[in-house]
Amino acid sequence: MKTKSLFAIVMVLLMLSSCYSVRVKVTNGPGGEPAETETEEVTAGELIRTLDTVAKVGIATKENPINLPDCESGGLHAVEYRTTFGGILKYLITFGRKRTVKVKYVCNKKTNTGVIDLD
Amino acid sequence: MATTTTEPRVWWDTLHKNGRFDLKFFLRTKLEKESNMPSLLDRYNDAADEMRRLIKEADDNDEGFRSIGSKWSMSSIAHHPDRMHFTSNMNIGFGIPGNGVHANSTYKSENLFFFQCGNEIKEISHFLESKGKSLKASGASNGQTIAGCISTGVHGSGLDIGSVQDYVVGLNLIIGPNPEDVVYLERHTKPALNEKLPQRIKARIIRNDDLFNAALVGLGSFGFIHGVLIEAEDRFLLKRYVRKIKKQKAIQISNTMDFQPLANEITEEVDAQGNANRPYHYKVFINQYSNDDDYVIESIYKKPFDPNYKQIHGDPIPFMKQFIYRDLIYLLIKISEKFQKAIPLFIQALSGTILPKEKDENGQEKNIVGQLSEIFWDAGYQGKAFACSFGVDHKNSGKALEVLTKLTKDDGPIPGIFAMRFVKQSDATLAFTKFPVTCMIEIDGIQWNHKEDGIISLHEYGKRMIEVLKANNLPFTIHWGKNAAWDFPGLAQDMFGGDVQKWMDIRSALLSPRMAKLFSNPFLDTLGLSQLSSPVDPGLIVSL
Ligand SMILES: Cc1cc2nc3c(=O)[nH]c(=O)nc-3n(C[C@H](O)[C@H](O)[C@H](O)COP(=O)(O)OP(=O)(O)OC[C@H]3O[C@@H](n4cnc5c(N)ncnc54)[C@H](O)[C@@H]3O)c2cc1C
Repeated sequence: MKTKSLFAIVMVLLMLSSCYSVRVKVTNGPGGEPAETETEEVTAGELIRTLDTVAKVGIATKENPINLPDCESGGLHAVEYRTTFGGILKYLITFGRKRTVKVKYVCNKKTNTGVIDLD
Repeated sequence: MATTTTEPRVWWDTLHKNGRFDLKFFLRTKLEKESNMPSLLDRYNDAADEMRRLIKEADDNDEGFRSIGSKWSMSSIAHHPDRMHFTSNMNIGFGIPGNGVHANSTYKSENLFFFQCGNEIKEISHFLESKGKSLKASGASNGQTIAGCISTGVHGSGLDIGSVQDYVVGLNLIIGPNPEDVVYLERHTKPALNEKLPQRIKARIIRNDDLFNAALVGLGSFGFIHGVLIEAEDRFLLKRYVRKIKKQKAIQISNTMDFQPLANEITEEVDAQGNANRPYHYKVFINQYSNDDDYVIESIYKKPFDPNYKQIHGDPIPFMKQFIYRDLIYLLIKISEKFQKAIPLFIQALSGTILPKEKDENGQEKNIVGQLSEIFWDAGYQGKAFACSFGVDHKNSGKALEVLTKLTKDDGPIPGIFAMRFVKQSDATLAFTKFPVTCMIEIDGIQWNHKEDGIISLHEYGKRMIEVLKANNLPFTIHWGKNAAWDFPGLAQDMFGGDVQKWMDIRSALLSPRMAKLFSNPFLDTLGLSQLSSPVDPGLIVSL
């Protein structure tokens, strides 16, 4: 019994420590898609989109990516990937067959620049 | 067709939560899709029609209308309780072809660019860099819109360059609901465009220096700014040094703008005769709670562009993140996160030297080289902040700093720290950079609860700042986009004297009484700037 609970504690600690988030941001683009929101997050002023899905193994592979169709500019400004405790649990319970994917992303601002002809 | 969504709301707030403010409707305009309307000028004109419709709609409902940019202003300048309008998606931009330039223009066509109001500084820089060009100056960061910048008079520390509005050479305003309410303004003594572009955007040309200068820093109240014409320049590099120097030396430089004392501090920036180079930008960081003998200064020099600068000096952005004295505001937030809401502890932390060392892990001074857009990069912070910013003649900077920091310690302690930047005089009638070289003395910090924290309120602090400057006979201005006791009696006159009436006379001549009301707001009312002049002098807005 003792070893069991010790094992459980170690597992929980391991899972907790494997929760992380990574934010990746383009430095030389036109900037993020703007939004007027009242948030106090670090991303205030940017339109945050979220991809929240459960991917079956084999679905989200190199040949078969999860598509993001909603960036009007066709480009990404920032991506935040977060692993959660629940996500890791699901991964373990399903023996790696299902993965929770939670990605927040900001599209590039759609630019409207170019040349004009005055003739 | 450009489309606008109208959302009923009960409140609105600034980015840094300096409100809340009452609101009825929040509007957002998006341009027609490029695929449906490929011509930039067609899309621009289509947006102009939409703006006239929105102005009419507000007028028909007897309501006010105020466009906003990125809501970075901390004063209530961007607020209107009736209709507020988000412009960041209105971001058309293009260069001016040679055949669009006025015959008497002193500007090169390759340097003239036209930007719709919602273009942010970051995306303008991105576009200009793709053409081998650069903005002449910006603020410390890059998220404001071009119209938002000029409406308050955003500055960096361009000693010989000035503020954002100082490189704007043409303005396309929409001053009412009718087709003839689309106007294009520029200086008659410095024309930039011939009739071709104004004709294409269906704008009436008015060339008049006084009108242009009044509208330039228009406080959001000179009509809707649809587009601005700017003068850019060839891209260049900036080399940034941060040093700790004796307080007295830093102040001596500030008071005199003689940079010779820097010769033995920044030995790389000295000519063959031993004369110190004149910096592009000079900033002094002041932690008024520290007894250190030194101040930290930032001195930045303009250098010719070298395409290999990243290979030679490294990528400036990671360096800026590692070494920068991040905008003080950001630093303060980091500290306040640690100390939660405990302002006294926070103040105690400020008593030591809290600014990070501008040295690498080997103890070497690290100088950073990058383009303007890289040195004045993204602001890394959001949250509840305040900022107060006073303009004084640089000759008075030492004295003004002394009285303001003393007040901040005696009547506070206020959870913020000071900085000074120096900016060339602006021609704009109500620019707060009105002195030959204006020293902007700013305190940035986190908001506090004056009841819980036992410190005077921000409003009271703002009032006391004005009082001590007046008591010491130090003429001053205040940054329109920052916190202040804006209801201080006679404030506008104190700051700008006769220019206030001049500005109001010109505004009254340009806008019909209904439109003058529609484009004013409680901020303007508080300052007494929304009053209409009577009789109106139509001569003030004739094309010369
Ligand atoms: C992180 C941070 C850093 C800052 N750094 C600096 C700095 O270095 N230097 C400095 O001077 N200031 C600085 N400020 C202040 C800020 O740059 C100014 O207040 C600026 O005016 C904000 O621009 P915005 O686009 O957010 O405009 P807003 O704050 O949204 O609006 C400002 C004014 O512009 C008007 N306006 C906007 N668009 C239009 C339009 N199309 N037509 C008519 N009126 C319009 C609004 O009505 C309002 O009156 C900083 C603020 C923050 C939050």
